[in-house]
Amino acid sequence: MRRLSAGAVVAYAALAVYAVVSLYPFAWMVSGAFKDRLEILEGGHLIPRRPTLATLADTWSRLHFFDYFLNSLKVTGLTVLGVLVVYSLAGYAFAMVDFPGRRFVFWFFVALLFVPSITVLLPLTILENKLNILGTHTGLILPFVNGTAPLAVLMLTAAFRAVPHDLHDAATADGAGELRIFWRVYLPLARPTLITIGVLTAVPTWNEYVLTRVSLNDESRYTLPLALERLASGTVPSYNEIMAGSLILVVPVIVLFLALQRYFVNGLSGAVKN
Amino acid sequence: MTATETTTLAARLVTRPRRPTSARRVRARRALVGYAFIAPAVVLFLVLGLYTIAYSFGLSFAKWNGFSPTWEWVGLDNYRDILFADPRLAPEMRNAAVNTGIAMVAVSCGTVLIALPLASLLNGITRLRGTLRSIFFLPYVTAGVAVYYAWRYVLEPDGAVNLALRALGLGSLARPQGFLADPATALPTLIVIMIWGSVPVAMLLYLAGLQAIDPAVLEAAALDGAGSVRRLRHITWPLLVPITVAVVLLGLRDTMQGFQIFLIMTNGGPAGHTDVLGLKAYQQAFFQSLSPTLGVASALGWLIFVAALLLAVVNARLLRGQR
Repeated sequence: MRRLSAGAVVAYAALAVYAVVSLYPFAWMVSGAFKDRLEILEGGHLIPRRPTLATLADTWSRLHFFDYFLNSLKVTGLTVLGVLVVYSLAGYAFAMVDFPGRRFVFWFFVALLFVPSITVLLPLTILENKLNILGTHTGLILPFVNGTAPLAVLMLTAAFRAVPHDLHDAATADGAGELRIFWRVYLPLARPTLITIGVLTAVPTWNEYVLTRVSLNDESRYTLPLALERLASGTVPSYNEIMAGSLILVVPVIVLFLALQRYFVNGLSGAVKN
Repeated sequence: MTATETTTLAARLVTRPRRPTSARRVRARRALVGYAFIAPAVVLFLVLGLYTIAYSFGLSFAKWNGFSPTWEWVGLDNYRDILFADPRLAPEMRNAAVNTGIAMVAVSCGTVLIALPLASLLNGITRLRGTLRSIFFLPYVTAGVAVYYAWRYVLEPDGAVNLALRALGLGSLARPQGFLADPATALPTLIVIMIWGSVPVAMLLYLAGLQAIDPAVLEAAALDGAGSVRRLRHITWPLLVPITVAVVLLGLRDTMQGFQIFLIMTNGGPAGHTDVLGLKAYQQAFFQSLSPTLGVASALGWLIFVAALLLAVVNARLLRGQR
C-alpha cells in the first residue's frame, strides 16, 4: 500500500470530521429509536444499553405509522405518476410540435418558479374548499403536481429537444402519428430524465408538511410528516417514539437515494444550471 | 376536460388517415395536436396556478376573516400596515424581516465557506470519494420534519450537544435551557442547521465545477512557473465564480421562502427571536381565527414575491455579467 502524504492525511481527517457532522442527527435518531421509554430519559449515551425493537414495533402498529406510511406512499406515488404523464406530454409538445403561442405558454410555466408557495397557500385552501377536495388526498396531489411544473417542463422539453430530429421525420414518413411517436420513440429515449424528475419530485413530496398540515383534518388520511408532528405535539411526547417515527419517515428516502444516486446528482446539477 | 379525454382526443387527431390536404390544414391540425398535448398541464395551471395567484392578489387589497360573505376593500392599507402604519404589526414585521435578512446572508455565506473547501478536498482524494459524497449528501435527501425533530432532540437541555460540550470541558458553551429556548442562541442554531442542510447541493455543484477544470491547464501553468496561489486565483477561481453566484442566490431564495424549519423547531420563539416573514404570513393566514387578517397575509405574501423577483433579476444580471 502506498503511504499517504501529510496533505492527504489532513484532507482525510477534515473530511472525516464533516462526515461525522453530516451523520450526527441520524446517529441520534437511530439511537433514540432503539431505546425504551425509561432509557431515553437518561440521555447522553449514543449506543443504547438495552437496545429494543419494541419502540419501533409499537410506533409502526399501535401508533398507526403503517397506515400513515401507506398514505404517504399513495400521495407520493400518484404525484410522481401525475407529474410524469402531464409534463412529458407538455414537454413533447413544447419540443416537437409547432403551435401558435408555444413560446408564450412555455415561459408562463417557467415563470411559476418565482412564485413563493406561501403566496398561494391561502387561496389554494379556499379554492379547494369550494371544490370540495380540501382535506382529501386529491387535494394534496393536484397542487403537488402543479408545483413541479416549472422544473419538469424545463427538463423534459430539453430532453426531447436533444433527441435527433431525424427520428421524428423517419417515424412520420412511416405513417406514425404524434401520440405513437411520443409513446414509442421519444418516451423510452427520455428515460433517464424521467427517472431524475421522478426522484426530484418524490423526495420533497414525501417530506411535504406545510400544505398537508393546513389541509388534512381526518386522522386516517395523515401522511408521515403530519403524523410525526402530531405525535410530537401530543400531551406526553416521548422522544424514543418521535425518533422511531422519524426513522420510519427517512429510511425510505435514504433507500431511494442510495438506489438512484446518479440520477439525483445529474438532476440537481441540471436543475440548478437551468 | 380530463387528462384521459384529452389523450384520446389527441389519439384520434393523430391517427386519422392521411389524405391530401393543403399546407394550411396540415398546420392547423398540428396546432390542435400541440394544444391537446399541453391541455392537461394548462388546465391544471389555470385552475391551481393562475386562479390562486389572481385571488391572492385581489385579497391583498381587502380585509376578510375567511367567513364573512363579503370582502371589505381597503386599497393599499394592508401593505401600508405591514410596512409602517400599524403600531403593533409593523414592528413585528420589521423584526421578522431583520431575522429573515440575517438568516439569508448567514446561510448563503456559511454554505459557500463550508461547501467550497469540502468539494476541493473531495476532489483531491481518490479513495472513498464516492462513499464520502453519499454521506455528505444525506442531509439534503432527508431535509424535512424528521431531521428537524432529530436536531431538536440533540439540542434539548439534557441533549447530546450540551452533554458533549460538558464532556469536552467546554461546559461554558453549553446552554442549560437548551439551544432553541435561549434567545441568544436560537436563531444562530437554526442558521447552522440550515447551512448543514444546504451544504450538500452546493458541494455537489462545486465538485462538478472542479472536475470540469482540465488538469492539463493547471499543469501547464505550473510549468510556466505559476505558484499554487496564482493558479487558484487565475484559473480555478474564475471558473468557480458562476457556481458561487448560483449557490448564494439559491441560499438567499430558499431561506427567504422556506419557513418549515422555523415552524417545526421554534415557531418563532423564544419571544419572536426566530420570527421570519414566511412564518408571519403563515400565521396571519391560518392562526388568527376570526380576525380579518387574510388580506394582510396575502399582502405579505406578495411583498415576499416582489423580493423573490428582485433576487431573480439580480441573478439574471450577474449571470449575464459573467459572459
